Amino acid sequence: METTKEHILRLLEMLDNPEAYTEQEIEDIINHDDDTREAYNLMVEAKRSSRRRKADAAVDVDGAWQRLEQQLQPRHQNLRRMKIAASFIGVLFVSGIAFAAIQLIRHTQQWSPKTEVVVNDATPINVAPTDTLGNDTLVVQPVVYDNIPLKKMLAEIAAHYDAKVTFQSDEARELRFRFVWNPQQGIDQVVSDLNQFNCLKVTLKDNVIIVE
Amino acid sequence: MLDKRILEKLFRQNYSEMIHLARVLLGDDAEAEDVVQDIFLRVAEADLPPRKEGYLLTAVRNACLNRIRQMQVREKVKNLLPMGAEADLQLRGATEERADDISAYVDEHLQEPHRSIFHLRFDDDLTIAEIARRLHLNPNTTYKYLAQSIQQIRTHFKR
Repeated sequence: METTKEHILRLLEMLDNPEAYTEQEIEDIINHDDDTREAYNLMVEAKRSSRRRKADAAVDVDGAWQRLEQQLQPRHQNLRRMKIAASFIGVLFVSGIAFAAIQLIRHTQQWSPKTEVVVNDATPINVAPTDTLGNDTLVVQPVVYDNIPLKKMLAEIAAHYDAKVTFQSDEARELRFRFVWNPQQGIDQVVSDLNQFNCLKVTLKDNVIIVE
Repeated sequence: MLDKRILEKLFRQNYSEMIHLARVLLGDDAEAEDVVQDIFLRVAEADLPPRKEGYLLTAVRNACLNRIRQMQVREKVKNLLPMGAEADLQLRGATEERADDISAYVDEHLQEPHRSIFHLRFDDDLTIAEIARRLHLNPNTTYKYLAQSIQQIRTHFKR
């Protein structure tokens, strides 16, 4: 039977040439018993103590800092690129929201007259009110009212010119006919156009559209 | 990311102590450098510098422990690094005082040629064959002397 001393001798032999042993053999030698394991730990501590005495040698902090800077550079660049990319995404996102909002406004503005106005019209004409979008960004299209009660039609037209509407005849309120309104024309021209209908007599007084 | 001036100040204030500890724990200068550089790269990514005193040294101990755990057994024994649960104890500083005591004991109590053999093996990393050649001893005798020294130190610290 091997003695503790013999186990430690085997341990020392193995430590001199660990390449000659498999991983399992190394573990088996170290963990053969408590004494061998303690002997190994003692050598570990002795070695560590020795390293501590040697580690007092001067340290090149400048060189180490330069090496760190070199490693940091690509990270900073990546971060900068990511920030730029994030900014672009942000701009695109905001632009997207703005674009969507414009589309929504357009759609909303177009939608309400279209549902009622373009009932029998095969080629509807769209409109975007001038008070919503600038003339430089949008060509204002004429609006076609077809089979829409006059009270509703005039309410919208008057609102565009910031005018009021007064009906002197209830009958006139419910009149329906086809009328093409060009918002770019003045209110006087609109009144004049409306008067082309025989059944209507429209006047403008103090910014009030009066339908007789 | 942490302001570069703050990082540099932190680095210059702590690097020496950190690299010293990492070298002692790992026994490999290149590995030690990697460990400390990795810690500062992580610190650089934070918005604020570490506030806790001793944070950086604790980070070194933990990083070294992780490195040792990842090493193969053969790699550990080559550098005489702790194995298993002992690694936790030794790397967390629990046995540091004893390591210094061992060193003092060797110088004060071991006789020649035992003391020289001990120093040549653990300070200069010589193999037994190399020590035997240098001290003009028989290799088997050199093994025996070193084993005797280890037994003597163990017995002393077991008391």
